[in-house]
Amino acid sequence: MSGPMTAQTARRFNLAGGAITLVTVICAVIWAFPIYWGIISSLKPEDEVVRPVIELWPETLTFDHYWFALTETQIGSWYLNSIVTALGVTFITVTTSMFAGYAISQLRFPGRTALWWLILASFMVPTQVLIINHFVLMANMGLLNSWAGIILPQLIHPVIIIVYKQFFDQVPRDFREAAVMDNASEWRILFKVYVPMNWGVTTALSIVTFIWAWNAFLWPFLAVTKTEMMTITVGITQVWDAFGVYYARQLSAAVLAGFPVALAYLLFQRRVTQAITLSAGIKG
Amino acid sequence: MRYVAGLALGAMLATAAQAEETVVWWDFLAGGDGVRMKQMISEFNESHAGEVAIDATTLEWGVPFYSKVQTSVAVGEAPDVMTYHASRIPLAVKQGLLSEITAEDWEAMGLSEGDFAPSIWESVQGSDGKTYGVPLDTHPIVLYYNKDVLGEAGLLTEDGRPMGMDSREGFTETLTKLKEAGVKFPLGSVTADGNFMFRTIYSLMGQQDGELMTDGEFLVGDNAAKLENALAVLQEWTNEGLQSTYTDYPATVALFTSGEAAMMINGVWEVPTMTDLHAEGKLFEWGAVELPVIFDHPATYSDSHVFAIPAGSAEDPAKRAAVLEVIGSILKGSLFWATAGHIPAYQPVTETDEYKQMEPNATYSPLTANMIYDPKTPLAGVAGPIFDVMSTYFVPTLNGEMEPSEAVEEITYELNDM
Amino acid sequence: MIRNSRKESLIAYALIAPFVAIYGLIFIYPTIDMFILSFQDAPLIGSGDWVGSDNYTRLGRDRRFGTAAWNTAYFVALSVLPGTLVALGIALGVSRLSGRLQALVLALFFLPYILPVSVVFRLWDWTLNFQFGIAMHLFDWVGIDRVPIFKVTAWFMPAVAFVTIWWTCGFSILLFLAGLRAIPQEIYEAAALDNTSRWRTFRRITWPLLWPVTALVLTIQLILQLKIFDQVYLFSQGGRPNDNLVMVYYIFQRAFVNDHGGRAAAIAVVLFFVVIIVSVLNFQLMRFAERRQ
Repeated sequence: MSGPMTAQTARRFNLAGGAITLVTVICAVIWAFPIYWGIISSLKPEDEVVRPVIELWPETLTFDHYWFALTETQIGSWYLNSIVTALGVTFITVTTSMFAGYAISQLRFPGRTALWWLILASFMVPTQVLIINHFVLMANMGLLNSWAGIILPQLIHPVIIIVYKQFFDQVPRDFREAAVMDNASEWRILFKVYVPMNWGVTTALSIVTFIWAWNAFLWPFLAVTKTEMMTITVGITQVWDAFGVYYARQLSAAVLAGFPVALAYLLFQRRVTQAITLSAGIKG
Repeated sequence: MRYVAGLALGAMLATAAQAEETVVWWDFLAGGDGVRMKQMISEFNESHAGEVAIDATTLEWGVPFYSKVQTSVAVGEAPDVMTYHASRIPLAVKQGLLSEITAEDWEAMGLSEGDFAPSIWESVQGSDGKTYGVPLDTHPIVLYYNKDVLGEAGLLTEDGRPMGMDSREGFTETLTKLKEAGVKFPLGSVTADGNFMFRTIYSLMGQQDGELMTDGEFLVGDNAAKLENALAVLQEWTNEGLQSTYTDYPATVALFTSGEAAMMINGVWEVPTMTDLHAEGKLFEWGAVELPVIFDHPATYSDSHVFAIPAGSAEDPAKRAAVLEVIGSILKGSLFWATAGHIPAYQPVTETDEYKQMEPNATYSPLTANMIYDPKTPLAGVAGPIFDVMSTYFVPTLNGEMEPSEAVEEITYELNDM
Repeated sequence: MIRNSRKESLIAYALIAPFVAIYGLIFIYPTIDMFILSFQDAPLIGSGDWVGSDNYTRLGRDRRFGTAAWNTAYFVALSVLPGTLVALGIALGVSRLSGRLQALVLALFFLPYILPVSVVFRLWDWTLNFQFGIAMHLFDWVGIDRVPIFKVTAWFMPAVAFVTIWWTCGFSILLFLAGLRAIPQEIYEAAALDNTSRWRTFRRITWPLLWPVTALVLTIQLILQLKIFDQVYLFSQGGRPNDNLVMVYYIFQRAFVNDHGGRAAAIAVVLFFVVIIVSVLNFQLMRFAERRQ
C-alpha cells in the first residue's frame, strides 16, 4: 500500500465526512423549522399570517396574541393544573416505585417473585384500553374534574420500578452488610445508603415521569369536563372561546404550552438525555 | 298558579338576599355569533352584579360538544344551562339528558308558547309531551357573496344580487364566469367537513321535496335519487374547479374574507364576522341572500339554537331561578342576537320595526317561508347518528373521490342498518 | 433468624404497600372490570344486561371495527420501521459531531419529543394547512399540486405517521447514541487502519454491535404505536374521523360518543390481547435473532 494512496483515501474520507456533517446540520435545521415557523407565525398579525407569501420574519412584530392568550383565557389555571398534576404524578410514582424497587431488590418476603413477574407483565399491557373503566371508577369515586382524578390513572409506570431495582441490585453487598452490622434499620439503610447513592437515577426518573405527565393527553382529556380544571395540553385544543378561528392566536397558545418543557430541556439537556436512556433500561 | 308564582318570586328574592348565584353556561358558539353572545353575557353580568353571574365556556361545536354533555350529565358534572340544537332534542330526550322546562319555569321566565312560531315551539317538545328547551333563534344557511368581485365580472343584478339564482344552469354559469374572470374559487364550501355539508345537501334535497326518513325507513323510493342529484350538482362544481375542495370550516371563512372565494355557503352566524371586518375597513362590499334554487323550488335547511337545562342540574330553587332569569333576559334582549345573523325565535322581537329594517337580515329573511328541518327522530340532529353516517360519505363524494351513486348506496345501507 | 426474616417481610410489605394499593385500584381492578363490562349491554355509566358474547360477535360484521383494525396495523407499518431507520440515520450523523455543535444539533432533533401532542398538532396543522400552510407554498414553488393532507384518506395515515416520527424520533435517537457510544473506539481505529470502506465498517461493526439497541427501539416503538390515539384524534377534528379510526379511537368513540360502554369494552379487550400477543411474539423473535447472531 503506497503512501500517496492512503493520503488520497484519507482526503476522500474527510470530504465525504464533511459532506455528512453538513447534511446532518442542514437536516437538523429543517427538522426544527416547523417549531420556528410556529413561533414566527404567532408573532404576526392575523391578516399577515394568511398572506400567500413566505415571510421568514414578521413584517409587523406583535405580541397581541400572547397578551390575548394570557389575559383573555384560562391559560393560567391550565398551567397550574398541569404543574400540580404533573408534579403529583411524578412524586407519587417515583416514591412508591423507589420503595417497591428497594423491597424487591434487597428484601426477601413471600410473594416477591410473583410481584416481580406481575410488574414485568404489566409492562406489556396498554393502559389506554382501560380508559372506560378508569372513567367509571373515577366517576364513582367522585374524582372527575379534580386533580386527584387526573393524577390517579397516570400512576402506572412499571418501568420506573424496574430501573430502580436494577440500580439497587448493583449497590455492592458490603454497604448493606456494614449497615446491618451497625444495627441500622431498613429505613435508615434505604434513606442513608441506597437513595443517596442513586440520586442521579432519582433525578433522571423524575424528569422523564414529569415529561410524560406534562404531555399526557388522552386521560386528562377524558377526566375533565370543566374548562377551569383542564391541563394546558387539553385546554388549548378544546376551548374555543379562547381562540376561535384565529391561526396566530392558536399558535401563540401552543407556544405557551410548549415553552416550559422546551426551556427545561434546553437548560438541563444532559440530564434529560440521561433520563431518557435510563427510562428505556439503558445505563447511560 | 298564584302559589307557584309566589314560590318563584320567593326564590328570586332568596337569590337576591343570598350571595351571588353563579350560573355555569356551556355553548358551542365559536363563529362570529360567539362574539355577540359574549357581549350579551357580559352585559347580563353587569346588570345583575351581585345577584347572578354567568360563568360561560365555549366548547368545540359538534361531536366534541355533545359527547361532553352526555358524559358530564352521566357523572353529574353538567353545566346549569347550555345551548342545544333543536334537531337534537329527540335524541337527548331518549337519553334522558335534559330536564323538563315546566309550566312554572315558563311563568318565571315570563315567556309562553304564544311568543314562538308554531314550528319552533313544536321542535322543543319531547315525544313524551313535555317541553325541553327554550328556543333562542332559527339559523338557516345563506349564500354570502363578494359584491366587488361579482360586480367587476358583471354578475350582479340591478338590485345588487348575484345573477343566475333561479336555476342550476344559471348558477353554474355564474360560477363559470367567475372562474373565467380569474377568481380562484368561485364558491367556497366546507367540503372537508361532512357534518357541515349536511345542511347544504339536505337543502338541495328539500328543493326536490326529498325526504330523508319516511315512516322510520331511510331514503325510500325516489328519495335516494334526489340525494344523488344533490350530490351530483356539488360534485360537478368540484370537477369543474368551481368550488373549493377539502376546505375545513376556518379555511372556508378565511378564503371568503380574504377575497379568494367569491361566494360562500355558510350559516347566518358568520354575518357578524363580515359586519365587524367591514366596519374595520378590512372587508369588501358584501351581501347575503337565500340559497339559489338549483332544483324545483326554494328550500333552505334550518335548525334552532335553544337553551336547555341538563338533567339533574339547577335543581336547587335559587339556582333554578337564576338560570331562568338568565334565559329570560337573553331571550328578551335577542334583538341584539339578530345582529349575529340569527332570526330570533322570540316573536315580540322580530315584530319590531328595528328588526325588520336590520341588514343583511332583511335581505335573506324571505327564506323563512322556505325553511325545512331535520326529521324528528332520536337519530337526527347535529352530530347525531344520521349526521355521522352521511358525513362519512359526503367528503369523498364532494371532493370527487367517490361517485354520488355509490355514496347513496352506502348511505342507504348504513342508515337502514342502524 | 426466623424473627429477623419475619421482620424483614413486614418491612417489605410496608414498602410495597403504597405501590400495591395503587396498582390494585388503577390496574388490576379496572382490568377485571373491563372483562366483565365487555359481556354486558351497558352504557358508559350505569349497568346493563348480560349479553354473553354478543359484543364480540358483532365486531365481525362491524365496518368501523374493520377500519380501525386496518388503520392501526397500517399506522404501525408506516411508523415503526421507518421511524427506527430515521432515528438510526440521525444518530449516526450526530455521533460524528462533537462538542457544542453536537449538543446544538442534537437539541434541534430532540426538541419535538419534549413538546405536548397538542402543540405538535398545532404546528403541523399550520405547516401543512391546505390554504395557508408553508408546505403548500413549497409545493406550489416546486410545481406539485397542493394536497389537503389531513382531509384525504390516502394521505392521512402516512402524514400522521410522518408527524409521529418527527415527534417521537428524539427518544430513539438518544438510545441509538447511547448504543453508539458504547462501541469501543479501538474497533473503528483498527478498521480505519485496514482502509475498510465506510459502508463495510457500518455493516460489519456498527450494525451488529448496535443490534441490541435496535431491537429495543423496535420493541418500544411497536408497543407504543399500537396504542395510537392522540394524533389521530386531533388531526381528524373537522374532517373525516370515521375514515381515520384506529383502535383506541374506536374505543373512545363507542364509549364516549355513542355511549356504548359494553361494546367499547369488547374492543378494548381485543386490543388488550393484540398488544400482549404482539409483545410476546416480538420478544421471542428478538431472542431468536439474537441467538442467530
